[in-house]
Amino acid sequence: MVALKQEEIQGLAEKAVNLAQKRGIDEAEAFVYQGLTTNVIIERGQIARSSRIVDRGLGIRAIVNKAIGFSYTNMLESEAVIEETVLKALRSAKAGKPDKDWHGLPTKRAYPSVTGTYDNKIVELSSEDLVKIASTMLDAAEKSDRRIFPIDGEAGASYLCKAIANSNGVEGFDQGTIIECSLATIAKAEGEVTPVCFEFNIERKYDLKPEWVGKEAARLAASALKAKRTKTKNDSVIFTQFALQQLFYFTLINAVKADYVQREQSVFKGKIGKKVASEVLTICDDGLLDSGIRTWKFDDEGVPQQKTPIIAKGILRNFIYDNYAAKKEGKESTGNASRAGYLSTPTLEATNFHIMPGKKSPEELVSGLREGLLVNYLQGAHSSNPASGEFSVVATPAWKIRDGEVDYATKGAMLAGNIFQVLADISELANNERKIGQLVVPWVLVENVKVVGK
Amino acid sequence: MLNRFSFKNLHVGRGEILKDVLRKTIDVAVQKFGAEYAEVRAQKLFKTMLTLKEERVEATKQGIENGVALRVLVNGAWGFASVGTLNTETLANAASDACKMAKAASSRLKKPIKLAEAKAVEDKVSMKPKKDPSKIPIEDKISTTLSMSEIILGYDSRIKSCTIDYLDLTGRTHFMNNEGTYIEQDNLYVWSRLLATAVETGVFTYSREEIGSTAGYEVFDIETPEIVGKRVAERAVKQLKAKPPKGGANPAILGPNVVGVFVHEAFGHLAEADLTLSGSVLLDKLGKKIASDIVTFYDDGSIEGAFGSFKYDDEGIPTQKTLLVKDGVIVGLMHNRDTAQKFNAKLTGNARAEDFRFEPIIRMRNTFIEPKDYSFEELLEDVKFGYYLKNFRGGQANLDGTFQVGIQEAYEIVNGEMGASIRNASISGNTLETLLKVDAVGKDFELWPGRCGKGQTAFVCDGGSHVRVKEVLVGGSA
Repeated sequence: MVALKQEEIQGLAEKAVNLAQKRGIDEAEAFVYQGLTTNVIIERGQIARSSRIVDRGLGIRAIVNKAIGFSYTNMLESEAVIEETVLKALRSAKAGKPDKDWHGLPTKRAYPSVTGTYDNKIVELSSEDLVKIASTMLDAAEKSDRRIFPIDGEAGASYLCKAIANSNGVEGFDQGTIIECSLATIAKAEGEVTPVCFEFNIERKYDLKPEWVGKEAARLAASALKAKRTKTKNDSVIFTQFALQQLFYFTLINAVKADYVQREQSVFKGKIGKKVASEVLTICDDGLLDSGIRTWKFDDEGVPQQKTPIIAKGILRNFIYDNYAAKKEGKESTGNASRAGYLSTPTLEATNFHIMPGKKSPEELVSGLREGLLVNYLQGAHSSNPASGEFSVVATPAWKIRDGEVDYATKGAMLAGNIFQVLADISELANNERKIGQLVVPWVLVENVKVVGK
Repeated sequence: MLNRFSFKNLHVGRGEILKDVLRKTIDVAVQKFGAEYAEVRAQKLFKTMLTLKEERVEATKQGIENGVALRVLVNGAWGFASVGTLNTETLANAASDACKMAKAASSRLKKPIKLAEAKAVEDKVSMKPKKDPSKIPIEDKISTTLSMSEIILGYDSRIKSCTIDYLDLTGRTHFMNNEGTYIEQDNLYVWSRLLATAVETGVFTYSREEIGSTAGYEVFDIETPEIVGKRVAERAVKQLKAKPPKGGANPAILGPNVVGVFVHEAFGHLAEADLTLSGSVLLDKLGKKIASDIVTFYDDGSIEGAFGSFKYDDEGIPTQKTLLVKDGVIVGLMHNRDTAQKFNAKLTGNARAEDFRFEPIIRMRNTFIEPKDYSFEELLEDVKFGYYLKNFRGGQANLDGTFQVGIQEAYEIVNGEMGASIRNASISGNTLETLLKVDAVGKDFELWPGRCGKGQTAFVCDGGSHVRVKEVLVGGSA
């Protein structure tokens, strides 16, 4: 299935809005999304599969008397279906209930330019090219340690594009590319099996490090062997980017979303201008970050993306907004509306949640500790209390630090605490930031974390 | 307008034409590219979704989609293509794409993939709900979800927010392979999730419930807005006065809801044969004792109306009740055709795909522990100090058997009696160690619906009876 061109994608969005306007809808918006993804998949130590997924479709929001209806379809070849989709959105709106806080769709604003988000070389990659990337990664892992076993992984390339149009004259098109590779490994020795260790690399441009990923995935698994139990105590903990992503996704990121604040689900309500974190912590939500995974010219309701200061030296500066939450407070959206392709209405999400790095190398962070824990991955972070920020998770794999060195892998240690206390207890950040999910973040050292052992 | 057809026709009609298109697509893979195996899965799906925040209907959503998933085995490697169309020409191209990709992947193959033999099946599976969600007016669905929200918010002034999500999915899946199998199977799912938060003097609590059924919209006649709404609201409020647990190893009674997530997360994933092969701790334990004698686990896809039930899986294999652990001994795993061949085991019908955008992979269905003979009071009796873990918030496990289950509702047990309410507890440990510490199993039985993520979403149930464990590590935020 070949990709639809820019004109075709934009044409579809405009057509849908026009059809809706003819039907007497108060306001209408069409969002067209297209994604082409090729993957090569590693299964139990060998390249065993390759897949190509073409997914595109149209989502329409119709507003009648302040009630919002939404309908989507992926059957873009049929005029009849597109018209029916418009009608379904209209009928849904009529069935819905008026929302007094609805103050209209976004209006037209100029779009910024973004850099490092599209690379034609990625679009042209074949499954043979991806087989090469996956092989390089696999070979690197297998060569580095005989005790490790690559369980699964993949190399993938995607071309994504989106178009938006609404009855306020907003129109836009943007496209981007993503390339990634990942490998999950375990190590086995003398009857011991390590937890799954995982490494990956994701980029917007064709600048991937499969060999590094393979080596790192192997090194992590091998160093998770010979794990020992730890004692219950309060300890200094270095969280790697993986652990931070898990810890922050359900808690901190939600707490700065304006809709959570408005609905009294955020402990940050009423705290703008106040100290909410250690003064070493500065965070921006940067929708325009060069080569950022979530960098686009405009968000998923056509509002220009931007850089929004969230926390500056520990002081809470701003919340993030989509169109609805912003207009409810008489403010402008910060460009944080996000959708799951064409299948959903927009929800409020962070773009690139950028936690500013510090000056020390990760090695210096470790060598500065007489005693501590290095936590790579957390199990169960999604079961934390998202409103209060209380968490209770298993650190696995994690390593005990003694006298400035990584000493041994730990087994089954639980970490318990409150994420907002963690923010206050951050003492240092390393200089090794990387992109992971919504975060761009370095290793972070937190003091006085409760480690529950045996 | 040309080719105007009604959605009703699209839903049920054109079966023979579609069958022909699918056969042609398979022919391309087999005859032109020499695929050893080829299958197509065509779907037409209709969804209704609602999101309510407090008493506001955020959006009323409806969708229609169609598409085809094509999977081929060429030179022992898989090729997969997914396209959002039923167009003959596009499908022929996708078949050729899939075969070329399989060839590319096979260039580095060490062990070619082979499939366990399966009987060819021709069947048509129709759902007969008492209340077909696709025929219920959207206004009724809005009023059902609105009453949930009213009941939650009206329960107590300390409840500050609630979010209700609703989904129904109907449609049909057409499955064909080159071995003579052709199955038309209706899809029907009804699901809802209720979230509530309560706040009082700086304490934030959170409570969640899910409803899920493959029977029909009649699920709301049992799990009425009143019953479920109250359950969610009551828990959020109760937790305001709850205290955090003391960390440490303690005896615990797990409610069926927590047992379910333990059976699913801590044991079930390890017994998905693809993960077992990937190095789960069960790999060298097959046929051996891994749990105390009173532990028997099943994964059952045939429970009528349960959220994880279906008649045929996405490789065209009939579902069944699969015995995984019998009297403490692991006797079975969950398979697809690839792993059944590798283990020389019987097919279990566990290959499932979320929709045509995904490849089928090994998934659980309705997973549970078989009830024994203890009453709840008898379970409590012998506990001097411990915890009753009634309802879970989330859970996760690792191949090495490390598990973690977050708990949203728990109580202390003191001298055989229920004590104070506990907030934000979680349990963790090693699956195999914990299974050997099960010392009593209740006689009750409950199944709870949920959604499981393994790169794609599957609708499942899990549960069983109350279970007492001699010792489990209880952690909680201080």
